[in-house]
Amino acid sequence: MLKNYIKIAWAVLQRRKFFTFISLFGISFTLMVLMVVTSLFDHVFGPQMPERETDRLLFVNMLKEETKEGYSSSGPPSYYFLDRYVKKLETPEKVSINSVFITVNSYVNNKKLALDLKHTDQTFWEILDFEFLEGRAISQQEVENSSHVAVINQHTRTQYFGAKEALGQPIEVNQVKYKVIGVVKDVSVLRLNSYADVWVPITLKRNEFKGPSLRGSFFAILQAKKGGSLTEMKEEYARMMTQVEPSNPKEKASLYSFPDTILETFARTLLGKGKDSNVAMFYSLISLAAFLFMLLPTINLVNINISRILERSSEIGVRKAFGASSWVIIGQFVVENVFLTLLGGVLGFLLAAGALALINDSGVIVYADLGLNLRVFAWGLLLCLVFGLISGVYPAFKMSRLHAVQALKGGSK
Amino acid sequence: MLRHLFTLIWNRKKSNFLLISEIFFSFLVLFGVLSFGLYNYHNYTKPLGFAYDNVWSLSLRSASDSMAQNLLVQDQLMQRVRSFPEVEHAAFSSDNTPFSFSTMNSPLSYGNVKNLHANMYEVEDNYKEVFQLDVPQGRWFGPQDKTSLHQPIVINRMLKEQLFGKEEALGKLLPVDSSHYQVVGVADYFRAGSEYGAEEPAFFTRINRETTEEPRTWGNLLLRLKPGTGVAFEAKMMKELGSIAKGWTMEVTTLEKMRQNKSKMTLVPLLALGLVCGFLVFNVALGLFGVLWYNINRRYSEIGLRRAIGASSGQIRNQFVGEVLVIATFGLLLGLLLAVQFPLLDVFQLSPVIYWQSIGLAAVLIFLLAAVCALYPSQQAAKIYPAVALHEE
Repeated sequence: MLKNYIKIAWAVLQRRKFFTFISLFGISFTLMVLMVVTSLFDHVFGPQMPERETDRLLFVNMLKEETKEGYSSSGPPSYYFLDRYVKKLETPEKVSINSVFITVNSYVNNKKLALDLKHTDQTFWEILDFEFLEGRAISQQEVENSSHVAVINQHTRTQYFGAKEALGQPIEVNQVKYKVIGVVKDVSVLRLNSYADVWVPITLKRNEFKGPSLRGSFFAILQAKKGGSLTEMKEEYARMMTQVEPSNPKEKASLYSFPDTILETFARTLLGKGKDSNVAMFYSLISLAAFLFMLLPTINLVNINISRILERSSEIGVRKAFGASSWVIIGQFVVENVFLTLLGGVLGFLLAAGALALINDSGVIVYADLGLNLRVFAWGLLLCLVFGLISGVYPAFKMSRLHAVQALKGGSK
Repeated sequence: MLRHLFTLIWNRKKSNFLLISEIFFSFLVLFGVLSFGLYNYHNYTKPLGFAYDNVWSLSLRSASDSMAQNLLVQDQLMQRVRSFPEVEHAAFSSDNTPFSFSTMNSPLSYGNVKNLHANMYEVEDNYKEVFQLDVPQGRWFGPQDKTSLHQPIVINRMLKEQLFGKEEALGKLLPVDSSHYQVVGVADYFRAGSEYGAEEPAFFTRINRETTEEPRTWGNLLLRLKPGTGVAFEAKMMKELGSIAKGWTMEVTTLEKMRQNKSKMTLVPLLALGLVCGFLVFNVALGLFGVLWYNINRRYSEIGLRRAIGASSGQIRNQFVGEVLVIATFGLLLGLLLAVQFPLLDVFQLSPVIYWQSIGLAAVLIFLLAAVCALYPSQQAAKIYPAVALHEE
């Protein structure tokens, strides 16, 4: 039965090429855009190298001080705050402190390289899952001794050393020489917490460790114990925040700082004005945008489907006259439509792969490595089916109600 | 004729419902994207108010805790930079240089205007030469300001309009903390955020490095270079400055590069939105075309009959195109009901001109789209021979 329907669908597709083109174009392009967006979303918020175990990681990027008069200032926290309060937390298994990356210049053979430099501790390399192409991570010993060693990314390696050996060679960044001990795969600039071109020991930034200011230029990454929950860490963090003494006790400032997942960090800065994370609202906004975006192609598809089905009214008439029920007819058209959408879906995937390759090559997002992974693929497939059902059910329903005689006469009003 | 067409479509509003809603949504999408685009375009056409070519920005982060030490290094850096023959002008400024991602705001009050938030730029006297600013009223900062009683400020045109209106601005005192700002000059445009950013009120305060109370180090050194100075000089300069300021974090970049980064922030979303919108509209056009073609084919006998009783092929074509335009009008009217709320209720605080322009442009585009899609099928319909059409029936 199903095989028959699909055969009919194939024949119908070939009959009116222009209509088929319109339907397929609509489906595949809509899916392409949705796939590119989900892939971007996945790239920014999903588990990706080097933050692979996102369900065990929380990030501290912001601290906000607010005085009674309403004057507020916010920004990354200081080493003092992270070391004194966040490092002492008991629920996380590991806490890494690393600096916000800074852009510095390096000159090789009359060429300028703008490199992003990040200072990290040793835990950073344990928590995050970098892909090492050569060499190794910064060791505990090197952090303690503030050795001038550096891990660089692949891009910097080719730019600075070309085809020559990089491991063990000196690299001069911001007029300071470091010894290269490792080369890792490029990390996309959108992974704010781990991205850099050059990573060096945090102790080289020792002069910023002192002072009681709570605001500074450091991030922290918290890793939960295996099987431990993120909520527990958040609760302990909140309790800890009530104990923190403001840097200027005279001002009676209120302090806000939260450990967040990557998505929460983003939603908080975008919608929450720093206090609520508003992830639910963020999701609803995204769904609304996706719905509105899909509305037009869907209406369009329904419109075209109606015309196409109307053309086949005599066929429906004959089938009805031979005793087919409305449900059977609806079933046939739904199968046909799902078939068409899946076909469009396959095309959409190919187009999306092309579009992602274009984005990767264009350099709009530095070191972007957008790809179609299985999760994104599954989402696309689901969207395909929803799409096929929406655009198939209504016209099929409309047609199935035709009376046999009317249908045989050639159509509906 | 026109009234007849309207009744015709109105009577078949149920079967035209999908087409009408499609036009309605396309109109809204076009309206939204065009408003965003036009807003940026309007800003782009205004002058920036400063020249950024051949300007470099050197950002500085000191290394030591000793302020005295840092100040010494800062003075040495400036002296060394000025001694390079390639450097025409140099000035320290706060971190919020043009095209940077940081901003500084300060509330100003005067008369009825309370707490007007204006961008504040802390700059040295040479800043005017570095950016070739134009100060048509009053004067820029000069050595005479060293001893002035009130802290001098130069404001931009926008701030003058918002704070003083038609009143004279020069010489006015503005209360701030425990002292006063005194307006000594009014600059023309100054849109430092981005080429696509709106014109915002802004003012400059003077950096006085000779002051002994609360000395500070400054985050940015701005340089105007002789045209054609390249990366070879940059490497040499950075090497020499690196030996003066040991352990400092220094980064040099051109304002041109910063401008490109900043405009990417506007252009990339605009391009993505434009592509998506273009795709949606193209999709709608294809759909419209297909449906019209099909509908016209269905009305074969009607066309034959009309032709037989003497309608010219031109009349037939006009009728079909007319019908489509009427459908488009229905969709547009619905869309208009929603779109006019934006300028009327002042949503997003854009100037109403932008909304009206994008409403007009979107409407024109929709009509054009409908007409183009209707033309070919109608042409086909007009070519039908009455005898053939009636015979088939």
